[in-house]
Amino acid sequence: MRVEAVCGRGPHLPSLRAGPRHTFEAVKLLVATVREIFDEAAYSRFLMRERTERSRESYAEFLQENANVTARRPRCC
Amino acid sequence: MAGAVSIATIALRRGEEINAMWLVVAAVCCYALGYRFYSSFIAAKVLVLDSERATPAERLDNGRDFVPTNKWVVFGHHFAAIAGPGPLVGPVLAAQFGYLPGTLWLLAGAVFGGCVQDFVILLLSVRRDGKSLTEMARDEIGPVGGFIAYAAVISIIVILLGVCALVVVNALKSSPWGTFTIAMTIPIALLMGVYLRRLRPGRVLESSLLGFILVVLAIWGGKWISQTPSMAHWFTLTATSLALIIIGYGFAASALPVWLLLAPRDYLSTFVKLGTIGLLALGIGALRPTMHMPALTRFVDGTGPVFAGRVFPFAFITIACGAISGFHSLISSGTTPKLIRRETETRMVGYGAMLAESMVAIMATIAACVLQPGIYFAINSPAGIVGKTAENAAAVISGWGFPVSAVDMHSLAQSVGEQSLFNRTGGAPAFAVGMAHIFSNSIGGQALMAIWYHFAIMFEALFILTVLDAGTRVGRFMLQDALGHVWKPMGRTSWYPSILFTSAMIVAAWGYFLWQGVKDPLGGINSLWPLFGIANQLLGIVALCVATTIIIKMQRARYAAATIAPLAALVLVTFTASWHKVFDANPRIGFLAHARQLGTAGGNARLIFNDRLDALVTSGLIIMVALILVESVSRWVSGLSGRTQAEVRETPFVRTRFAEE
Repeated sequence: MRVEAVCGRGPHLPSLRAGPRHTFEAVKLLVATVREIFDEAAYSRFLMRERTERSRESYAEFLQENANVTARRPRCC
Repeated sequence: MAGAVSIATIALRRGEEINAMWLVVAAVCCYALGYRFYSSFIAAKVLVLDSERATPAERLDNGRDFVPTNKWVVFGHHFAAIAGPGPLVGPVLAAQFGYLPGTLWLLAGAVFGGCVQDFVILLLSVRRDGKSLTEMARDEIGPVGGFIAYAAVISIIVILLGVCALVVVNALKSSPWGTFTIAMTIPIALLMGVYLRRLRPGRVLESSLLGFILVVLAIWGGKWISQTPSMAHWFTLTATSLALIIIGYGFAASALPVWLLLAPRDYLSTFVKLGTIGLLALGIGALRPTMHMPALTRFVDGTGPVFAGRVFPFAFITIACGAISGFHSLISSGTTPKLIRRETETRMVGYGAMLAESMVAIMATIAACVLQPGIYFAINSPAGIVGKTAENAAAVISGWGFPVSAVDMHSLAQSVGEQSLFNRTGGAPAFAVGMAHIFSNSIGGQALMAIWYHFAIMFEALFILTVLDAGTRVGRFMLQDALGHVWKPMGRTSWYPSILFTSAMIVAAWGYFLWQGVKDPLGGINSLWPLFGIANQLLGIVALCVATTIIIKMQRARYAAATIAPLAALVLVTFTASWHKVFDANPRIGFLAHARQLGTAGGNARLIFNDRLDALVTSGLIIMVALILVESVSRWVSGLSGRTQAEVRETPFVRTRFAEE
């Protein structure tokens, strides 16, 4: 399942006069950001793309697929 | 107005202490103005961002590397990738000149240099299907540019890793508490790896939270270890022992499967990093501390104990990542351009994230400058300058006009659970003391000072070690790619003989610099940090040469000053600093003068060799700068004079489906 906040038409930054709906949107956006930073969103995309379920095997496949990409990602100074 | 008043207060107040909030307000105002006006100018006039143009994330969307992503999510992702130890350590070291030079360079350097570089490179990479900096340098400047970019990346990685490892060694030597805590992060990361892979597949946030709780417990456990002589004995290590352990660790991290150690540790480090930066911002806001460091110290004349050299160019070389960092261009042309959903969002991600990074550097400056200057210099001065005994060091530092006593330092060391805080060079311990001061005055009082100090040390060491193990692996891949052209099997990233050989090569390269720093009687940082600064700025020069070349090819030469101005500043700084580091007659600054002095005094042959090697590396770097500049300028001249047809190698225009949003 693709998280709407991450891909495609994500929510805009709520205004300062935000109501409960905007607060909820902001929290959703924050969660989406954290999930992207920590690669959880990437795993969700993998599950969706491969039409498979969350399991040890699928996570091992995901890690295998991402091994070169993540390991080649430089860490900044 | 608020920004102008704040900058005037920072710049003109002399002889009395100022509140740290002046720096915060000045930074927030400058960054807000820079973002609102200067980044808009670059977006509209220089780069001509096109909201109708589809990005590679949209065109090549494969749900894996190329994914159209919400701009705030990409911002967070990009900031997490560019925020490393540099903006924390650099400003702390540069505080020896006082808070003014570093702060002004952070503000101006970020707004007109670093942010521009990150923003422009990000956009150019987006328009080239997410190509890397080295590929763009080869395509747009020429084969020499491409080769130099490649060599610069390898050089900077090796020097960066050496100097980062040295900072960790200096932070952990003779510190059983710190060493135990950091040692515990290895089994914690392994446990996280098993949790992620076996127990709760893919639940990274859960496992990071679990890891964080275990690390906090390890900090508490470290206190008990340090107070139990039989246990403390095992974790009280000398600098040389720590260096050997870290070299072995770097090799293991590069050769082991990613999921086992590297990935969990990376997640843990990111979790701690983002949390701590947020906490530090809250702490400074809540405490609004007074800065005891003067605006300018006597060491602007180049006689500083932390590192030698005048304020120009060495403050600019030392600050590095908080103002402008060539390393960022690797991130801007790496993962980030493949996530950008619309071209117009590159402004917020590229320019905005660098402003956030610069704000982190401002906070590091504040953390260093809230310390009494005497304490700051006692922590950061090497024994070779102030003497080996506490009494000697206190007398020398007090003689400079920064009073400190051995008793004060002893009680400070006791309050943070250390045996001594003298000669703890490298910037990390001074930053940790400053951070602990801010935190303990906000939450918990003096009773928690030691916990906060070791939390800060753990935080710095953890994410420096993450840079170290990930960097070793990146360097290993680059070396495998290069050697694969010579002998094909060496290029196979999963072939174990190749993995072991290339890992050993990279570790040996940075390990040598680390060993050199550990054995250096001047503390190592004096030689290695400027070398790192020069290498980093060299990569910035490569990035700005690529950017300027493309801007001219885009027929936007009238606005090329936006990248030529920071490029000129970097060239001036890098060339001047390199000249001083190689040829300066002062043995504390010039490598060759130091080698001559050692030779005359019948000094250690290894130290003489190290000095000559450093001189050779610096000269090599500067020759590369000169070559890439010459090739770039010749492209600009031939393009502007019409001798050659300027050909922009952008991906053809495709209309975005997000245009109507």
